[in-house]
Amino acid sequence: MSSIITHSAQETIELGKRLASKLRGGEVICLYGNLGAGKTTLIKGIAQGLGVKKIVTSPTFILINVYKVKRQMSNVKCLIHIDCYRIDSARDIENIGAAEYFGNPNSVVVIEWPERIKDILPKKRMEIHIAMKGEGKREISINF
Amino acid sequence: MEKYKKIILGIESSCDETSAAVVRVKCQMSNVKCFEILSNIVLSQIDIHKKYGGVVPEVAARSHIKNILPVIQGALDEACVSQKDIDAIAVTNGPGLITSLMVGAETAKTLAYLWQKPIVAVNHLKAHIYAAWLQEAKSYKLKAISFPVLALVVSGGHTELVFMKNEKSFKKIGQTLDDAAGEVFDKVAKILDLGYPGGPIISKYAESGNPQAFAFPRPIMDSKDFNFSFSGLKTSVLYKVQEIKRQEQKKFQVSSFKFQENIAASFQQSVVDVLVYKTIKATQQYKVKTLIMGGGVAANKLLRQTMKSEAEKNGVPCIIPEIRLCTDNAAPIAVAGYFGKPIPWQKIDVDPGLDISEN
Repeated sequence: MSSIITHSAQETIELGKRLASKLRGGEVICLYGNLGAGKTTLIKGIAQGLGVKKIVTSPTFILINVYKVKRQMSNVKCLIHIDCYRIDSARDIENIGAAEYFGNPNSVVVIEWPERIKDILPKKRMEIHIAMKGEGKREISINF
Repeated sequence: MEKYKKIILGIESSCDETSAAVVRVKCQMSNVKCFEILSNIVLSQIDIHKKYGGVVPEVAARSHIKNILPVIQGALDEACVSQKDIDAIAVTNGPGLITSLMVGAETAKTLAYLWQKPIVAVNHLKAHIYAAWLQEAKSYKLKAISFPVLALVVSGGHTELVFMKNEKSFKKIGQTLDDAAGEVFDKVAKILDLGYPGGPIISKYAESGNPQAFAFPRPIMDSKDFNFSFSGLKTSVLYKVQEIKRQEQKKFQVSSFKFQENIAASFQQSVVDVLVYKTIKATQQYKVKTLIMGGGVAANKLLRQTMKSEAEKNGVPCIIPEIRLCTDNAAPIAVAGYFGKPIPWQKIDVDPGLDISEN
């Protein structure tokens, strides 16, 4: 496990970019942290690092956003951004077909509020915890 | 005259409202179009979702299935029409929750096949703008909406500025970079433990609060583009609430005087300031002749008043549909169906992430 401190949203985005450079496709990344912790910010960085051109916005309303990845030299064809903030059971995520992306070698899946669907999370996953350490400051722990 | 008559059945189920409406085209001159609502039934699931603190997709889809046929029948009955009077069916095919969207779309397809009627797939975001055409009809002044138009669509899932050079062209010129305005209302209500849905509760608390009590940021208000950002504002509110709670614990105090009201008022003022400032700036830069605001957040009283008075100050006529036409309902879906092109029912497909520039 490694733990990194960031001091601004920009630094969190940079960390996301660095993380993206290590992704090869098939990863499922679970992102833990409270409201306002910076989960979407980190995902913005991951998306930028992967070469996603569209603006990454919060998927709270429609639960899942699929972004096309245009990066050569990599298997990753799409970034799947799932937000379980509003859902009640894992079945909701299965019903919208989101679970089908788990482990797909052509996609990277990032899940916000994964604790709400823990029953269906794949065993092989990356876990990232974001803790708020005062204004702007975040402790980001990554577990491979 | 008869040949101009067109009766459209609109069906909407993109989120947590099941709705059907019958709309009649009253006149369709080249520059003036006006519509009359014969019926508009909206069945809200808010009470069902309240206890979960938000829309639960599985529950939403199940209630849509249960309610959609009675709601459609109700709309036909109230309009005193039967299926043979309907000239076309319009249905939302996105954006929204996929499981909710599918209920409306599959029902509409079945009816189109059964009744042999043309069917139009409607982009929900465009419908929020087309609600303005219903407003015109109501004022009985047959005045054309002058183009170009700038529209702000502001709801639980979206915050977008759209430029329209005519009634069928939609160009997105700005959008939220993170959370939608309606979403932060919900989340701030959660931070303040006020319940769901956040919009009406926040504005109710705000009424007796002081909007200057806390200096929350106006995120990216001065940026050159027309994008919005509300995530940082949500975090600022959270920091402030945590700080107040910490102080209370230290001093063994009960809640500060009107603390929730003041936070709600100050937060709401921030959102309204940013939305109005950027929208008015866009009306100037794009030299539009009309401003339209639609979507669920357009039901917010302070936003309506501020937008209207600022637009007037700048000499831009501003149309904000009445509240029941801003929140999700099927009447604007029917109007959008009038402007849209019918396609074979087999080709109707839902798209949860549909963009306003598509379809």
